[in-house]
Amino acid sequence: MTTATDTQLPQGIGRLSRGWIAFFLGAAVLFAFGIVGYIYEQGQGMVATGMRDLGAMQGATWGLYIAMVVYFIGVSFAGVTVAALIRLFDIEKLKGVARMAEVLTIVALVLGALAILVDLGQPLRGIVNLFRYGRPQSPFFGTFSLVVSGYLFASLVYLYVTSRPDAARLAQRPSRLQGLYRWIAAGWEDTPEQRAKDRRVTFWLAITILPLLVVAHSTLGFVFGLQVGRPGWFSTLQAPAFVTLAGVSGIGHIIVLAAIVATVLKAKDRIRLDAFIWLGRFLMVLLFVYLYFTIVELLTTMYQPTEHEKVLSDALLRGEYAWIFWGSLAGLAIPALMLAWMALTRHWRVSWLVVASILVNLAAIGKRYLIVVPSQTHGQLLPYGIGSYSPSWVEYAVVIGLFGLGALAIGAFMKLFPIIELEEGEA
Amino acid sequence: MARYKMVVDLDRCQGCRACMEACKVENNTPAGVFWMYVFRFEQGEFPDTSISFLPRPCQHCNNAPCVKVCPTGARYKREDGLVLTDFERCIGCRYCEVACPYGVNYFNWRKPDHAFDDYKMDFSDPDLVAFTGGVVPPYRNPDHDVKHGPEGRLTSGSGHFKGVMEKCTFCVHRVEKGLVPACVDTCPVGALRFGDAEDENSPISVFIREHESFQLLEELGTDPSVIYVGGAPPSTESREIERPMTRV
Repeated sequence: MTTATDTQLPQGIGRLSRGWIAFFLGAAVLFAFGIVGYIYEQGQGMVATGMRDLGAMQGATWGLYIAMVVYFIGVSFAGVTVAALIRLFDIEKLKGVARMAEVLTIVALVLGALAILVDLGQPLRGIVNLFRYGRPQSPFFGTFSLVVSGYLFASLVYLYVTSRPDAARLAQRPSRLQGLYRWIAAGWEDTPEQRAKDRRVTFWLAITILPLLVVAHSTLGFVFGLQVGRPGWFSTLQAPAFVTLAGVSGIGHIIVLAAIVATVLKAKDRIRLDAFIWLGRFLMVLLFVYLYFTIVELLTTMYQPTEHEKVLSDALLRGEYAWIFWGSLAGLAIPALMLAWMALTRHWRVSWLVVASILVNLAAIGKRYLIVVPSQTHGQLLPYGIGSYSPSWVEYAVVIGLFGLGALAIGAFMKLFPIIELEEGEA
Repeated sequence: MARYKMVVDLDRCQGCRACMEACKVENNTPAGVFWMYVFRFEQGEFPDTSISFLPRPCQHCNNAPCVKVCPTGARYKREDGLVLTDFERCIGCRYCEVACPYGVNYFNWRKPDHAFDDYKMDFSDPDLVAFTGGVVPPYRNPDHDVKHGPEGRLTSGSGHFKGVMEKCTFCVHRVEKGLVPACVDTCPVGALRFGDAEDENSPISVFIREHESFQLLEELGTDPSVIYVGGAPPSTESREIERPMTRV
């Protein structure tokens, strides 16, 4: 269905090659797998998951889903930070990754919200009652109001404002998507006043979003950090560590996405090496800060542990969870050293950056899992026995489905709108 | 307004777990769910060991972590001291369960009808009729389908909805009628007491005044309404002798 006019749209928008169709089909299959898992879970009740009650000594009542909620919302850190830094500090070289970062933020937030929803025993009530009866005193409320609503809304507005000029340009070309662009552009005209207004709006939005981002990720840390009755959770470091690890996984994600986009769209001139170097340095700093937090936390709990904390740290360091713990630590330390080596030798390679980013993301999932689960199975203050938890196929299916949905969403965006901001004269 | 408290006399408790059974019958809790649970544990190394028992109902804390974290206010504290769950409002996020240091919350992982399959007996079975003489017990206590208290919320009994949190209610449906909870009523050695602690002359107030007592995990500042008398709080040495093997 390629017409002559369509070919004029930049970045392959509106055209589906065979590779793209295969990609969409693959992602759709993963998503469908998740849907099947969720339908099964809803039919059976949550007995289909591996989660069980703490009081029945059968493991953890929060499991992989909550770990993924924390992970996805963490990934959303990337977009708005990068976008805000560009506006606040005028970092021109990052312009190429700005829009994909914003898209990544929005997709990750939606996935995080869905991961909360699949974890609820009564999802429909969840949607209604959180509005009807929401209690701001609950840390969980902050997750919904600040993260999923405030943060998501702000990010959408930000994406919209920064997309209008491109839409206006694309709307001048006849194409099947012309109507869509005209709608998004909503009368945007390329005048000096309009540009000044856009600059002002994005600047102030960036300034408002940055504190919102810290508050939102901290709130998620408070979900755990305020619980005095669970060894391993009650810690002041919880909130800042959440923000930092969010940054690690988010920046890691954006490096991978930027590398993929640059290759697929053959846009290495738009996403240049210096953008990757900037992101790599940022990732390195965040990684070292997070490793520092990890060591401080370990030392505090191990120097003079209470009996309950000792049970927990034994399980982490040499027990049931040791392979995840040391694996995650390696997945953070090795990339940190790789990045430090590249920074010191000033010899940056995108492929190494991508490897480091994938490693830190796997490690981030591992660390999130370790925050959520062991404190429940090994953290009982009363003499309950030790529980064990392993996710069931339903939980894996739903999580894989969420990743599939994310890939579908980003892929669809790339086929509808330029994922790299258009340059003057392009299109 | 009354202020209900429960006293557990550990010197009297013999670990027979009759209270657990009474609770299950009274509240129709599914298999593997113990709103009232009696720990049986031992301390020390062989041959110097000692056995102790510790009944653990919901502690109905006055500074309840579960009430604090509930995002919708489904878990709430009544003026008379009971901590209850509104089964029609709970969204099933299970935050109360991870926040509770006592592990008293139980989630409806299954559809309630499925959860009850295990003990839905066929009362028309001739072998059974020989015992029952044709009397059919109510499958569910009808009191559980009524809304209780001045707040008028569905709070008593188990197995109303799947995906909703439940826990010990201090038998709110019985307390409303002026009765004591089923576990207290059943205990063969009088180890459990229940009453209004606001009235200084009530038997329970006098009992608490005259005995040395402790609360479970006092150091967390939850201020439970369940007061333990005699014995000692479980130490980190305490090992459970036996634990339920049922898997929901």
